[in-house]
Amino acid sequence: MSGRRDKRTTVLSVLAVVLPLALSLVALNVGAYRIPPQAVFTTVAEAVFPGGDGSGPSPYADILFRVRLPRLLLALFAGAALAVSGASLQALFRNPLVFEFSLGISNGAAFGAALSLVFLGRGFPPQPAAFVFALLAVLLVVAIAGRSASQVVTILLAGVIVSALFQALLSLVEVFANPYALQSLVFWLMGSLGQATWKDLAVTLPVIGAGVTVLILMRWRLNVLSLGEEEARSLGLDTTRDKIAVIALAALVTAGATAVMGVVSWVGLIVPHLVRMAVGADNRKVVPLSAGYGAALLLLADTIARGAAPFEIPVGILTSVVGIPFFIVLLKKSGRIWL
Amino acid sequence: MNPARTARTAALLAWIALAVLRFPAPVGAAGQVPAPTTVVDSLNRSVSVPGKIGRIISLEPEITRIIVALGAGDRLVGIDYFLKHHDHLFPLVFPEGLKLPLVSNQAQDLSLEEAVRLHPDVVFASPSEFRMAESIERKLAVPVVALASMGRFAGLIGEIETLGRILGREERAAELVAFFQERLRALDRSASPDPPGERPSVYLAFWNSLVRTPVSYEPVDAAGGRNAASGVLPEYLGAAGATISIETLIAWDPEVILVQGNYPPEERRVSVGTVLRDPRLASLRAVRSGRVHYTFGFWYWWDPALVLVETVYLSGLLRPGAPAGPGLVATGDVIFKEFYGVEGAFSALCRILDCHEWTAR
Repeated sequence: MSGRRDKRTTVLSVLAVVLPLALSLVALNVGAYRIPPQAVFTTVAEAVFPGGDGSGPSPYADILFRVRLPRLLLALFAGAALAVSGASLQALFRNPLVFEFSLGISNGAAFGAALSLVFLGRGFPPQPAAFVFALLAVLLVVAIAGRSASQVVTILLAGVIVSALFQALLSLVEVFANPYALQSLVFWLMGSLGQATWKDLAVTLPVIGAGVTVLILMRWRLNVLSLGEEEARSLGLDTTRDKIAVIALAALVTAGATAVMGVVSWVGLIVPHLVRMAVGADNRKVVPLSAGYGAALLLLADTIARGAAPFEIPVGILTSVVGIPFFIVLLKKSGRIWL
Repeated sequence: MNPARTARTAALLAWIALAVLRFPAPVGAAGQVPAPTTVVDSLNRSVSVPGKIGRIISLEPEITRIIVALGAGDRLVGIDYFLKHHDHLFPLVFPEGLKLPLVSNQAQDLSLEEAVRLHPDVVFASPSEFRMAESIERKLAVPVVALASMGRFAGLIGEIETLGRILGREERAAELVAFFQERLRALDRSASPDPPGERPSVYLAFWNSLVRTPVSYEPVDAAGGRNAASGVLPEYLGAAGATISIETLIAWDPEVILVQGNYPPEERRVSVGTVLRDPRLASLRAVRSGRVHYTFGFWYWWDPALVLVETVYLSGLLRPGAPAGPGLVATGDVIFKEFYGVEGAFSALCRILDCHEWTAR
C-alpha cells in the first residue's frame, strides 16, 4: 500500500515538473501570429546557442521573446504563487476553504494596486501598495476571527467581511479616479497576463520566486503548524514567528502576481485540493507539488484565453468558470475533507 | 350668509363663465399648450413628451452637446457629472453650462431630489444604462428619452433629428444634418473611395490602452480606411471595444495605427511615441513607415462637430492622393462655428489636446 503511494508520489512529482514544461512548449507554439513549430524550435535554439549561420535573429524572435515568453513566465510564476499561497494558508489555518480570495488578500492587493495606479501614476510600481494592503487584509481577517481562526465558518465570515470592505474601498477609488485613470483601472481589474513586459517581470518574478521558494522550504513547519498551536510549540516551533512568516510570504507572492495581472481567483483553492486528493495531506508534498500544478493550470488557462478567440478572454473568467463549480462541490463535501 | 354678497359672487361667476364661452382661445394662439410629441427612442420605446419643452435635464454628454448645437442650451437646467468636471470641450462651446446645477454622480445616476427641485419637462438619459430610463420615469413622473448614436453616423443623424422634434428646433436640426451629410459627400467627391481590398488597414488604440480597440468606427470607413478589428466581435455590439493581444496586433500588421488623442497630453497612457518606441511593435508596417498618428475617438460618445472634423482629418491621413485641404485647425474652426456658433472653439480645443502637433500627412 505504502509502496503504491510512493510510486504515485514519484509519478506526480515528475509530472509537476514535466507538465509545466510541456505546456510551455505548447504555449510557445500557440498565438495569433502563425509560427511553424520548426521555426519556433530553430529560433529558440539560435537564441540558446548563438552563432548559427550568421543570418541574425529570425523575424519570429520578437514574437517569441518579447511577447510570448514574458507572458508564459508570468503565467508560470503567478500560478505557482497562488497555488503555494493557498496550500500554505490552508495548512496554517487548518481550514480547507481558505485561500487568497476568501481571506481578502486578492481584494486587498487589488485595492492597493488601484490606489497606486490612480493616485501615484504609472511611474510608480503598484507592487508595494498591493503588498501592504494584501498583508493588512489577512491581518484583519486573523484579528476578526481571533481564537476561532481554525473554524471553517468563522474564518470564512471574517474573510467575507474583509473582502467586502476592500471591494467597497476599491469602488471608492473608482469614484475618485479621473476618467483617464479609471479607464486604465477598469481594464487592469479584468485580469490579464497580456500586458506583461520584461520591465514588469524584472520586479515581479524575483519577488514571487523568492517567496515561493521560502514557502516550499517551510513545508515541514507547515506540517507541524497544522497540528495546532500547543502541539507545535511542544515540538519546539516558534509558532508566532512562523505564522507571521507564512502569512507575510503568502501575501507577498499573491500581491506580486495581482499587481501585474489583476485579480485572478480560485487557483489557490483548486490546485492544493487536487494535489491533496492525489498524495494526501502531507505538506512536504502538497506545497511543492502545488507550485508545479498551479503553474501548469494558469498557463493552460492563459493559453486557452489567448488562443480560443481573436479577442482576449480575461483569464480570471476562465479560472472562475472552473473554480466556482469546484468550490461548490468542495463545500458539499467539506465534512469529509481532512488536512 | 349675506344675500348681497352671495348675489355678487354669483354674478361674478356668471360673467367669467360667459367670457370663457364667448371668447374661446383660438387654436395655436400664444398661451395654449401645444400637443404632446411622441418619439421612439434608442430603446425602441414610444415616449410622449410635452409639446413645449422649457426645462431640460440631460444625463448624456452627447445629447447635451447636440442640445447646445440646436440652440436650446438655455433650456438646460442641470448637467451631468462628467460635463461639469472633466470635459475639456463643453466649456469652450457653452461656458454658461458650467454654472448649471450638477444632477448626477460619477456613475451618471440621477440625483432624484435635485431633479424634483429643478422640475424638468423632460430628462434625457443614456440607453446603455440598464433600465435607467424606466426607473427615472417611474420615480419622477417625467418623460425620459434614452438616446445615443452608438458610434454610428446614422444614429447621430437620427439623434439630432429626434432632439430637433422634441425641442421644436426641426429647422436647425435639418440644417445641421444637411451640413454634416454634405461634408461627408464632399470627401467622396474629392477622392473616390478605394475598393475595400485596397483601403489601408487601420488599427485604433482607444481608451488609453494599446490593446483595446473599437470593432467598428465609421469615421475610418468614411475616410477611406478599413478597421483591422472589424468582425472581431459580433455586429450587434456596434462600436463596443474588444481587447486583443499584442500578438494579434502584430499578426494584423496594420498600415496605419491611430491612437486616441482625446486626452490632455499628460493623461495619455498610450501615445504615438510609446507605440513608435515599443520594441514589440518594431516590425509593424505602420511603425516602420511612421504612419502612427493621433485621432480624436470617442469622448463619452461623440460630439457631432468633433466627429465630423475627425472624419475630414482622417480622410487626409488615409487618402494620400486627396487634394490638401485647409488644414486641421482651420477646418475644425469652420465646422465648430457651424455647429456651435463660437469662433475659434476648435483652436482652443487643439491647444488643450496639443493637436497642432498631430501629423496631418
